This record gives sequence, C-alpha cells and structure tokens, in this order.
Amino acid sequence: MSLIEHMLKRSDMGFRYLASVLFLLLMVSANAYAASEAATDQVKARLVASVESVHAGDEITVGINQRIIPHWHTYWINPGDSGMATSIAWTLPAGAEAGDIQWPIPHKFNVGPITNYGYADEVTLLTNIRVPESLKPGESFPVKALVNWLVCDDVCIPQEVELTLSLPVVDAGVDGGKGSELIAKAREQLPVESPWQVSAYEQKQGPLLKIPGKVLEPGSTAEVWFFPEEWGRVSHKSRQPRRIDSDAFLLQLTAGDNPLAAGESLKGVLVISKQISTGVLAQGYQLEVKLEPGIAESIVDEDPAQLEGADTSTGEDISLYSALLFALLGGVILNLMPCVFPVLSIKALSLLQHKQSQHHTRLHGWAYTAGVLASFVLLGLVLIGLKSAGSQVGWGFQFQSPIFVVLVAYLMFTVGLSLSGVLTIGSSFAGVGSSLADKSGYSGSFFTGVLATIVATPCTAPFMGGALGYALTQPAVVLLAVFLSLGFGLALPYLLLSHWPSLQRFLPKPGIWMERFKQVLAFPMYAAAVWLVWVLAQQAGPNAVALALAGMVLIALLAWIYEITRHGSNKKRYAANTVSLLGLLVLLYGSYSGIQLFAGSVSTANTASAAGVEKNWEAYSEQRLGDLRDEGKPVFINLTAAWCITCLVNEQVALSQQSVADAFSKSGITYLKGDWTNQDKQITQLLKQFGRSGVPLYILYPPGKDAKPQVLPQILTPEIVLNAVQKL
Amino acid sequence: MLLRRLLNVAICGASLAFLPMAAQAAADIGKAAPAFSVKTATGETLSLDSLKGKTVVLEWTNNECPYVVKHYGSGNIPNLQKEATAQGIVWLQVISSAPGTQGHVDAQTALKLNTDRGAAPSKVLLDYDGKVGKQYDAQTTPHLFIINPEGVLVYKGGIDSIATAKVEDLAKADNYVKLALGELASGKKVSHAVTKPYGCSIKYAS
Repeated sequence: MSLIEHMLKRSDMGFRYLASVLFLLLMVSANAYAASEAATDQVKARLVASVESVHAGDEITVGINQRIIPHWHTYWINPGDSGMATSIAWTLPAGAEAGDIQWPIPHKFNVGPITNYGYADEVTLLTNIRVPESLKPGESFPVKALVNWLVCDDVCIPQEVELTLSLPVVDAGVDGGKGSELIAKAREQLPVESPWQVSAYEQKQGPLLKIPGKVLEPGSTAEVWFFPEEWGRVSHKSRQPRRIDSDAFLLQLTAGDNPLAAGESLKGVLVISKQISTGVLAQGYQLEVKLEPGIAESIVDEDPAQLEGADTSTGEDISLYSALLFALLGGVILNLMPCVFPVLSIKALSLLQHKQSQHHTRLHGWAYTAGVLASFVLLGLVLIGLKSAGSQVGWGFQFQSPIFVVLVAYLMFTVGLSLSGVLTIGSSFAGVGSSLADKSGYSGSFFTGVLATIVATPCTAPFMGGALGYALTQPAVVLLAVFLSLGFGLALPYLLLSHWPSLQRFLPKPGIWMERFKQVLAFPMYAAAVWLVWVLAQQAGPNAVALALAGMVLIALLAWIYEITRHGSNKKRYAANTVSLLGLLVLLYGSYSGIQLFAGSVSTANTASAAGVEKNWEAYSEQRLGDLRDEGKPVFINLTAAWCITCLVNEQVALSQQSVADAFSKSGITYLKGDWTNQDKQITQLLKQFGRSGVPLYILYPPGKDAKPQVLPQILTPEIVLNAVQKL
Repeated sequence: MLLRRLLNVAICGASLAFLPMAAQAAADIGKAAPAFSVKTATGETLSLDSLKGKTVVLEWTNNECPYVVKHYGSGNIPNLQKEATAQGIVWLQVISSAPGTQGHVDAQTALKLNTDRGAAPSKVLLDYDGKVGKQYDAQTTPHLFIINPEGVLVYKGGIDSIATAKVEDLAKADNYVKLALGELASGKKVSHAVTKPYGCSIKYAS
C-alpha cells in the first residue's frame, strides 16, 4: 500500500494536514522529474502542447493527459451519481487566456446501483490557450496547471498535481513544430456538433429526444447513450429506450432529481457506439435542445443490448436454447391442430397403403421435412425483410392481410373438395387424392410440407408465443434458427414414422375405412374455410364475404369441369384446362382487386365480440391506458384478433363469463380490448413491451400509478382471471 | 382436453416465474419517506414509523471516504449533528458498505469511530445489505435526507454546495442541510429541496 493511500485510510487524521502532505509529496515528485509529468499510484499525468514553440498572439492547444491503471477511472464534466469532475487551475503570464476544458466523449461505469460517467485507461483533456501579444522571440511562455481529480475503483482518492511546461517564443516566420500527437488523438475523441435538427419533448417520464433522418438502420445493434452535461437533468442510470423509425430516431430519457422545465435547454452528448471488426467505434454529438411541451409518444425499446438485464423490463427473458426447445415443442403440437391433422393423416395413411421400400419411405419423409423447413425459412426471410424495412410485424402477421386470408380460405376449400372426392388433384399438389398412388411423388411430399406450414400458421400454439417473441427481437441468424426448430418440430412426427416402420404398426390396418376417414376429414377443412371467411368479414366487410363465397362457387365449378374431363380425350382435357386456368386467373385477380377495395373501407374498431354478457370493454388506445394509469386505476388489457383461435376460446370460456365481468366491475377494473385483426402499430408496440410478437396477451395493471403489470397465462380459465383480480 | 390441461399447467408455471417483482416505493420529495426497520450499532431494531412526530436526518457515511474525512476531520458534520440533536432532531448515520468493502465497520468500531471523531449522531444504522440505501437511492457518502415530523421526505442531496474534498472550501460553501433544518424549525418550506449529492460512491453489495 502506498504512503498516500495509507494516509487516506487513517480516518482520524485531519484532512488539511493530509492534503498538505500529499501536495508536498507531489511537488517533490514533480520537481524530481523537473518536467511536465507527475504521477500518483493510480494516475500518470502529463502536460502536452500542440506546438513545440509559440508565436506571440497564437492560440495553442494544451492537453492534460491522464494514464490510469486498470479498473480505476476519472470523471467527465458530469460525473454521474457520484464522483467529481477533473478540474484545472491555470497559472499563465499576464495577457494569456485559457478556455474551458474540451471533454472527450465519456464512458458509462456501473458500480452496483450507481452509474458514473468518466474515463478509464487514458484520456487527454484539451484546453485552448491564447499566447499574449507582448511576448518577444527568445522569451519563453510558461504554462502551469494545478490539476485536481478524483480517481476511483471501488474506493475513491482525490488527487492534485502541478504540471508545468515552458514553450520558447519564436519569430513569426519560424514554424512552431508539430507538438504532441496526443493532442491530435484527443481531438478525434471530442464530440462533434450535431448535424441534426434535434427536438426534445416533455413527457411524463422525462425528455424525449427526436432526431429526424436516418440516424441508425432499423434493427441496428449500435449502442446509443445520452450523457447529460448537468447533474440531475436526466437520470444517469435509467435505461434509455429507443425507437428507429424510417424517418426519425427517438430516445426516451428519464427525468432526474433536478428535472428541466419546458423552455429550458437540455445539454449533453449523444454517443453512438458501433461494433466494428477492430473494436468499438464511438462517435459523440454535442446537443443543446430546448425542451418543448410534450407530444404523446411511447417508445418500445428496440435496443437488444439494453433489453438484456433490463431493470424495468417486464418481457419474458428466454435463452436461445429454451427458445429453440419451445419452438420444437410448439412445432410438434402444431401437428394436432384441426387444420394440419387431416393433411398429415392422409400422408401417414399413404405409408400403410403402399408398402414401398424402406428407402423410398424415408426419402418421402425427408422430402416432406424439406418442404416444411423451406416454407419456414421463406417465412423467416419475409419477416426479417419486413422487420428491417421498419414494419411493425409479429407472428400471424400474414393473417392481417385480407388477401392472404381469402387465399388460405380458397386453399382450405379446395383441399376439402379434394378430400370429398369432387376433385382429384395431381401428384404435384398436396400429396392427397391420386398422389397416394404415385410412388415417385417426392415433390408431392415436399408440397405437403409446404401446405402443412401454410395451414399451421393460424393455429399459434401457445408454446410458440414466447419463442417467436424472442426470435423477433434477435438478429436474423437466431430468428432463422428458431423458425427452423419450429419447422423441424412440425415435420418430426411424420419423419419418425417414415424412418421407423415399427412405429407404423401402431397405425390401424388399411381398408375401406380409409376412404371414409378421408371424406370425414373434408369437414374440418370446410369449417376452417368458414372461419377464415368470418375473419375476412371482420377485416373487409360483407362485400368481401360475398366475393369470397362467389370465388368458392367458381372453384367448385372449375373443380367439376376439371374432374369430368380428366379421363376424356386430349382435346377435351386441353379445353378444360384452358378454361380452368382462365377461371383461376379471374378468381385471383377478382379477389385481389375486390378485397383491396373493400378492406380500406372498414374501420378496425369492428371487433369480434363474444356473446354472453353485454359489452363491458372499451377499445384499447395508448392514450386511454396512459390516462387510466395516471389516475392509478386498475386496468385489464386483452389483446386479441379475429383470426386467433386461442384468443376467441379464451374470450368465450373466461372473459365473457358473468362471474369475470362482475369481478371486473366490483374491483373497478377498466377492461380494454385491443384488436390486432388488422395492422395496428399501438398494439404491436404494447406486445413488444411485454416481449411478445403475437396475440393473445392478457395484462392486468393493479391499482396505483407505479404498480407493475402482471401478465396472465395465454390460456385462461375464469379461475385464473378471478384469482388474479382477487390478489389486487 | 388433457392436452389443454397440460398446457395450462405448463404455461401457468412459466408465467409465475416471470411475474415482475413487487414495486418498491421511491424516495421522492413531498412523498412519504420509504419505511424501514433496521438494526442499529447499539443492538436494537429501529423503524422509521417509531420516529413519527420528529424530524429525522439520514446521513450515509463511510469513514474511509475522503469526502467524509473532509466533513468529519473539519468538525463540520459532527457540529451539525450536535446542533440538530440538541433541538430534538433524530440524526441517523447509515452505513451501507457491504462486508469486505471500504467503510464496512462492525457495531463496536462504528461507535468508537464516532467517539474518536467527536461525532454525535442519535443512532448508527447498520444497513450492510444496502436495503435502506437502495430504497432511498442513496448514491454517495455523504448523502443526506431529511424527513419531517409527518414522515414526508423534504430534503435529499449533498451536505453543501461545493463538491470537493478540500477542507478550505467549507467556508465558502452553502450548507444545505443546516439551511433546510433551520427552515423546517421556523415552519418554512425547504428552499433547496433537491441538491447534488457528492462524494464517494456507496459500496453496495453487488
């Protein structure tokens, strides 16, 4: 232990005495070097200049360079929650003037719950100095700096050194020399003038910075931190949630102990740190913005780095492995969904009917798996594309497009017709019907996989919610990994069946019942089509329903024409195929343009209301939630969509029950319902806040302004809701 | 049905694990000061509730911190403690340094240090787990809080206006705590209710 530290630890010693001893000691060391250097146990300080000699009237730059031992740091102009900024007292000849310290961009240090702003390892604090006009060549220009700093690791030590430098004065014609390279290096670390027209808006939580233009690419992993120059204006440690819009960048700050009033200026440095191959590249921007009265904006944190270990996050933290596992499980469960099961059963039955070679069976299994995985990869890529384009997307997003809904309805209907025997589709499609007899139809197996994926997506298994929510906040590679895991889960049962013939023994013996079974399976498909048309009604109104139904009649007609000409002459078949193709084009074009037209005219407030009790909810809006929370009222939020089966079941089984409605009104709970049937940015943001990417989501806010919300399970019973309400 | 039940169980379990922790009351000016009940160096357990009706000063300290050394070595804080306690104000010294960190002292040492330094707090609170410190969001040593007789927080911040470790700055500094106590005694509103605390960071258990 050094002498200085030792003395500092002796608490009974008067500080005045201690300080003077310290000072003397440092004077001695400074004299010993007889130069512009001084060192303590923690910091080696040097006084350097931008030139080697000066001219009268010059403005030169000098720097205090601190080299700090590992784990210790000195402080920025605003040291944060504790600490003290380094200060310099200059002694200069008459007529010379020193400016303010130019602070390089600071770093953030977290010591337990305390956050400090400062510098580790090395820093150079620059100051501009004006050389007096009165100096003559041959004289010297002495610069003396009394530097005070506090250096801390776990413990803190205030230190003071005196540094001197004497620069010769030369003739105007003589070059001053290049001086210390530390000066140029330090200049690179200075924040630059902000190139943006930044605004700051007064929000309930604190100032909201809004920077127009493309500051960061959407999905960027760069770290962004605003360092306030004055103490207390902004909380030093609170997370700074951000949002990257296509035309602006938003950063939500939290007010500190000494908050700004509207009209006052917020000063500070915005630091953007990007990971590059050689390390971290940090660029600082000097901001000074007048605080304007607020606009209502809420920020969902899009910074993955800040999401981790976030102190206020209510999102569910899932590790990559458990996300992959959940996705796999979710995929397996998807096999049991009413829409997927029929497709799969047929496929499984084909194994029984055709005693193919083991080799062929396996290949079919893999072809099917490839189909599923390819579709999931495609879906993942589309999601990544939309995400980086800045769209607010989530799981099931495809169903927010009425066009997609009607196409899937047609598909369900067509598969139903095929199962009913009205239509025999060739081997290339779906692998049902005649393809059962087609031994080499690997492409059939592949497309069965594709079909299974398409029909599986609306049946969001509850397990998938968390995993997908996780995936959507992750980099592209992780997102794809989760999707692949999900797809593999979906493909797994059939793959196993095709690989181990012994498993096939558990399937019943083939016979006429298979034909009947197939016909029975047509009905879930029709039911699925009906449900989708109902979803469409919510999205695009009754006209779209008429259009969709007319489209189905057309499909039935085409199917019939196709079927009766299938075994006819080539000429007839050619004619029929032409008619079918034309009909199909008419169907697609008509549906597309029609629905495009109708969809725009329907308001999103047209929510699926469950029967049972009279309407006891209001439509969700950020504003309404904010108001209710401000009043400290308890709120229940149900985020739902017409195409989400789980949501509708929950509403029927739990939320529409009289007992639940009574409990809500008794506890004074306001029931807000957010309908995500169509795109809704506000709801997508709320979902994201809770780490979700899809509905359903049930949130219960207890009374009290600052009470933390509680997330209810994705499958509800009246008891779950009642218990939660009771515990308030 | 069985599947549904299984899912139910699994999901309930998962959700429970993710339930957010209970909210903690924060130390805001004009609001009820966060309640605490903590062991003192003299062995009893002291709760804030039991001090209703009295003005209470909380002073976070760490005897080895140079800033604390400044204010104790110069007699600044000990004198203030004596003045305050003479008027019936309860002055509580709080030690939140975790075991093994700077400023962590046992009960006996804490009392002896005060005797040696001529300090006279009413009680010394041993907040080794940092619970009270974090409740009040105490950041530095020294960091001071004043609670009025109604239990409302009326002051938080530094001891004075000049954030240095130099004794010679004491004479020039405005002593915010002295000012606030004076204003409270004469029934006035505290004029500087929030000031910048300065000093060493509190050595919380991480």
